[in-house]
Amino acid sequence: MTILGDSGISIFFHQYFDFQIISDNFTFVLKGFGETVELSILAGALSLIWGLVLALLRQLPGRGLLPVRFLAISYIDVFRGIPLLLVIFLISGSIPFLTFLPQSVRIPEWLGKPDPFWYGVFAITLTYGAYMAEVYRAGIEAVPGGQMEAARSLGMNHAQAMRYVIVPQAVRKVIPPLLNDFIALMKDTSLVSSIALIEVVNAGQTVQAETFNSSALTLGAVMFLVVTIPLARLVDRLIAGQQARFQRGAPRMESAL
Amino acid sequence: MMVDVAANAATAGAQYAGPMLQLEGIHKRFGELHVLRGIDMKVDRGDVICVIGPSGSGKSTLLRCINVLEPADGGRILLEGQEISGGGAHEGDIDFVRRRVGIVFQQFNLFPHKNALENVSLAQQKVLERKPGEARAKAEALLNRVGLADKIDEYPERLSGGQQQRVAIARALAMDPHVMLFDEVTSALDPELIKEVLDVMRELADEGMTMVVVTHEMAFAREVCDHVVFMDEGVIVEEGPPAQILDNPREERTKRFLGLVLEH
Repeated sequence: MTILGDSGISIFFHQYFDFQIISDNFTFVLKGFGETVELSILAGALSLIWGLVLALLRQLPGRGLLPVRFLAISYIDVFRGIPLLLVIFLISGSIPFLTFLPQSVRIPEWLGKPDPFWYGVFAITLTYGAYMAEVYRAGIEAVPGGQMEAARSLGMNHAQAMRYVIVPQAVRKVIPPLLNDFIALMKDTSLVSSIALIEVVNAGQTVQAETFNSSALTLGAVMFLVVTIPLARLVDRLIAGQQARFQRGAPRMESAL
Repeated sequence: MMVDVAANAATAGAQYAGPMLQLEGIHKRFGELHVLRGIDMKVDRGDVICVIGPSGSGKSTLLRCINVLEPADGGRILLEGQEISGGGAHEGDIDFVRRRVGIVFQQFNLFPHKNALENVSLAQQKVLERKPGEARAKAEALLNRVGLADKIDEYPERLSGGQQQRVAIARALAMDPHVMLFDEVTSALDPELIKEVLDVMRELADEGMTMVVVTHEMAFAREVCDHVVFMDEGVIVEEGPPAQILDNPREERTKRFLGLVLEH
């Protein structure tokens, strides 16, 4: 006999793992997860690009470009420092009322997606662009200074040196942390449920509200794990591969003055 | 296929007959540290100048000032008669310098994500705007010249230090420099790999390339250089022909340094 008794275990089990409710709502939840995946991929791709732009602006040389660096750093500080949920509300609750913008921007319904989807893409890109900019920066700073010097001494300007020498090396170094950020981003798309986008969490919650049973949310959790666990393993393998390369001595010593 | 690099360089710069490089009273500070304290130097076409001296004497900084990796704080640097230093060293001047001065670093600084051929052809295409075929042909010829014809597809991590350094020399030569700077290029190499790099440099000197070589290889300085400069604490202590400086130094500091270096 357990403390809860058979009926306790049974109630617990049915609350989270009611196979009838799971099978009845499988298509509905899966459709919500489809929305989650689309939102993740689109916002993830845009964040990757926006983050790189921010990181490059932050690395611009010379005194004349100080204001640009200052703006980039301020942006990154602000969007790393405020919650994504707040940004989502700031955008969804204000853009529709910026009447100087055209209707199709204020209430975007591009590609047949509802406006909360696009507000979500926008908010996530703004926020994760800032996170990813910091990841890129770490990668750029991890490229030995001699690389920039070698490129410049061959006559390349700053932009050429970044494009052909520094960024290709930096990006290789930061693929694992960028993937980690993508996993976090994917989970954070659930925040867009708060502005009525029917993604996987919203779908599960709708079922929960109708049935007083959480099994549809459990199903949603499993769907997340099907994607996030392999991604996390991939990150581990990439990191292990990089460490093996490092120990083989690929990046040579950096001691000289 | 042979390429006579120095001859290329000589024709490219043939219009200017005066000294290749003139340094007048060069100063450089890093914060409190006064690294160069008034360096004067004249390098004629075809000269091979060796700069020797203890570490921290400012030798490497001097090279870095010449190609404006570190702008000099005071004094004048003239490259083929054109002033390239001073407070207003802007992008145009830097471009003028970088297209005439090649540098090879102690740490090679090859691009690790590019193979040997790409290392030598990248800047040719992006800076000199050579066609891929032309850049490739030049890169192959130069890699052949430094004895690496069989390594053109290898990535730097699969090359020995000596091989990497020879690729780095080929990479600098591909830009048809008028002057080559060598910054302790054998100091990071295992002893058995030094000779292959010095041999390439010796050939280059024989062909008439103008070279400024910062080195600890006294035998190389003795055989190859026209002129030896001994630096200590940011000044030129003594300079002259190799036989004079290396065998009959006048200054106490030079004697002490050579005593330490030549002992072993």
